[in-house]
Amino acid sequence: MAISTATKAATDALAVNRAPVSVGAQEVHRWLQSFTWDFDKNRTKYSTKYKMANDTKEQFKLIAKEYARMESVKDERQFGSLQDVLTRVDAANRVHPKWNESMKVISNFLEVGEYNAIAATGMLWDSATAPEQKNGYLGQVMDEIRHTNQCGYINYYFAKQGQDAAGHNDARRTRAIGPLWKGMKRVFSDGFISGDAVECSINLQLVGEACFTNPLIVAVTEWASANGDEMTPTVFLSIETDELRHMANGYQTVVSIANDEAASKYLNTDLNNAFWTQQKYFTPVLGMMFEYGSHFKVEPWVKTWNRWVYEDWGGIWIGRLGKYGVESPASLRDAKKDAYWAHHDLFLLAYALWPTGFFRLTLPTAEEAEWYEANYPGWYDMYGKVYEEWRARGCEDPSSGFLPLQWFAENNHPIYIDRVSQVPFCPSYSKGASTLRVLEYNGKKHSFSDQWGERMWLSEPERYECQNIFEQYEGRELSEVIAEGHGLRSDGKTLISQPHTNKDGKLWTLDDIKKIGCVFADPLKAL
Amino acid sequence: MSIEVSGGRRGLTDPEIAATILAAIPDQPLETQRKMNYFVTPRGRRLNEYEVLCCYTQPTPDWIPGGLDWGDWTQKFHGGRPSWSNESTELHSTDWHKHRDPAFRWHALYVKDKAEEWRYTDRFLKAYSADGHVRSIDPVWRDEVLGDYLGAFGFSEYGLFNSHSSVVRDCLGDTLRMSSAMIGLDKVDNAQMIQAERTFLAKLVPGFDESTDVPKNEWTKGSIYKGARETVEEIWQGTYDWNEILFSGHMVYDPLFGQFVRREFFLRLSAYYGDNLTPFFINQMQLYHSQTKGITTDMFHTCLADDPEFGDYNKRLLRAWSDKWLPRTVNALKDFMGIFAKIPEIKGVTSKDAIEAALERVFDDWQRDYADPIGYKVDTSALIKTVLSGLK
Ligand SMILES: [Fe+2]
Ligand SMILES: [Fe+2]
Repeated sequence: MAISTATKAATDALAVNRAPVSVGAQEVHRWLQSFTWDFDKNRTKYSTKYKMANDTKEQFKLIAKEYARMESVKDERQFGSLQDVLTRVDAANRVHPKWNESMKVISNFLEVGEYNAIAATGMLWDSATAPEQKNGYLGQVMDEIRHTNQCGYINYYFAKQGQDAAGHNDARRTRAIGPLWKGMKRVFSDGFISGDAVECSINLQLVGEACFTNPLIVAVTEWASANGDEMTPTVFLSIETDELRHMANGYQTVVSIANDEAASKYLNTDLNNAFWTQQKYFTPVLGMMFEYGSHFKVEPWVKTWNRWVYEDWGGIWIGRLGKYGVESPASLRDAKKDAYWAHHDLFLLAYALWPTGFFRLTLPTAEEAEWYEANYPGWYDMYGKVYEEWRARGCEDPSSGFLPLQWFAENNHPIYIDRVSQVPFCPSYSKGASTLRVLEYNGKKHSFSDQWGERMWLSEPERYECQNIFEQYEGRELSEVIAEGHGLRSDGKTLISQPHTNKDGKLWTLDDIKKIGCVFADPLKAL
Repeated sequence: MSIEVSGGRRGLTDPEIAATILAAIPDQPLETQRKMNYFVTPRGRRLNEYEVLCCYTQPTPDWIPGGLDWGDWTQKFHGGRPSWSNESTELHSTDWHKHRDPAFRWHALYVKDKAEEWRYTDRFLKAYSADGHVRSIDPVWRDEVLGDYLGAFGFSEYGLFNSHSSVVRDCLGDTLRMSSAMIGLDKVDNAQMIQAERTFLAKLVPGFDESTDVPKNEWTKGSIYKGARETVEEIWQGTYDWNEILFSGHMVYDPLFGQFVRREFFLRLSAYYGDNLTPFFINQMQLYHSQTKGITTDMFHTCLADDPEFGDYNKRLLRAWSDKWLPRTVNALKDFMGIFAKIPEIKGVTSKDAIEAALERVFDDWQRDYADPIGYKVDTSALIKTVLSGLK
């Protein structure tokens, strides 16, 4: 239409119609796919063996301003609850002490995953070619910033309002001391950001989010609320509302590469590696946090695991992707074995290394021992007995001079660390699937606990060179390591970590540890 | 009572559970230091909520300056390239965690502002249309300038937006990463609001073409945005150093080219052509520009140029980067001068003297706020002369 005709038509139209008109997000979004253009250098900075299709669409069609509107509505609700009614009823001081400790770890470690997911989805935003697909990842970049801040808010709130601020107030510094941290970084940090972009997406979205987010974010709210914690459900359920978008991103990633020849060659291997990587840490750690980090139990971890991981994810979710050639990972069966015992094995080691934590741990009580035995027959003979012995030797009492770590040395049960997952294991005293494998490469020894990690290392050893805590701390005395890592409370002498949550129990100091004279050794050197 | 609780019983409200919990809680809090992140150096006098929620969320090892963690990465790229590393940028810092958004916006504050802007945009558009205001816009300005050239400028914003993806992946600090994502989102927001304005016009003006075809053709094949497009392509995809991407985009190209196009062309001229709609959108973009300027000058001036150990080195490199990106930006502006031949002339507004004055404002601002702080010597009148040589 020529300009003058259009003008006249506009004037005529306005003469009869003055209805207020605006523009909706969808009306803008429908042009998004055309925002890009072709040019020579237009390719991703992060190589991938897959090719993402140029016409990939997204499911959540948001524009920047509409995204902001939706999120800020959720924020108002969530922060309103926290700052208003939960503070007035002093809710942070109505949480079971054991759970107060667990949230030091859960919220901070989840924060690490959220934080690294910002960078991970930044990489995917770069790798995707279709503007809609880029937009989906962008939405996730922003969400993960939100979640990072939200997880921080939990620790911030518990520190400000709660019964024991130590650890909540400095987790970002003290987390680096202990044995759970490096494994954490593998699954929630490097596993999301370092590698083939699609492989990272599989780790983050297809496994991390679609598989472990449910137990991590949803189940945790049930355990929290049973133990008096209403802060965590308030925040985590608000996080969860964004996760659907992220799972959709993972799904779209697979759809975008489905027609690529590389997918038929590599996708199932990448998925199997990603599944094993994530489960190797989360299966034991989540089970341990729930069962050993609570007083009131919701259900045995193995049941939760079977429902969310084995049936929902391994069956339904992966089943939906079957038409794109995706198969259930081969390692799922080994993982199922781990779901029964691995968290019990890990707690034994975590408790033995309690002085390196940034939280207080608690030995199972008599009624808990009964619950464990009822749900995991054989538990007492393997673990219960040992805890009884440790307790009898005074492991909770600072004047005893006894650290459970000594028990492992006395009984010749060396603790190793798996090079690939960085998860500690004790091959001579465990019921889980771990077995010791030692390989030498470039004059250095490496221990492994399972065939799947070993395979990953064998094909690409240069990706897994990280030293473990025993190599790092070798020859150093325990109290020195704790002090250097800032593992002390504000009085400058009491440890943040403690081997009990008994309100009348004595608290250990750095001197109590120093007196014992515990020196780190690298078990690989003894082989 | 049994320790296994079922049926969704809640510890806060179930009397039996609550009693067990209360009995276990220590009589006195065990720790008196209640301030999270108490060990962080605050930018202002006291640690604020932004610093509590954002600082050290990144697990950086201590061999990347400012990090609190230790050791190697637990998984690396194929071939062994590290997750994050000092080699990802030529600039040096004693502390990559030092940057702060001067507005101290963490996620909730950032989206709250933008949500308000969106709600207000919706109300404004309804009032604008009900008022019949669109009748006053000069038809050439409306159909050609807004339809084609404003539309084409959207691609500049969209390209700059995409330049942030690798920055969000690669940069070395948490506050840097969050700021980069936010200023990136503002750029795609600009591109989307340009499209929103065009869609809005299409609803009011029968025959107005809202499709992106013509603007895209202008952007990719036309002469007016040729220099701009080539520069944006190089910032977005030709550059790997994340600091150089931010610097070229936000410290050279956008404060010169972006400012001229938005402020001195669309914002200044629209009123003369009876257009009170475009200023509404451009003013939002100018707000984002000023917030971004606060962020990037904190990154490059407060943190890097004033770094206690590497300040001099950094300033030298920033000057070298300015040498690289300034001529391209000047060339982009020179090409853009072609637009003045496309609009009905208004004496003293679109004539050469007025254009020169507008360029002077932009270059003077740039010299004062961007060049001087890093000791970059620039002959603005020579640059303006070069730009003006593009007038047809
Ligand atoms: Fe998240
Ligand atoms: Fe997520």
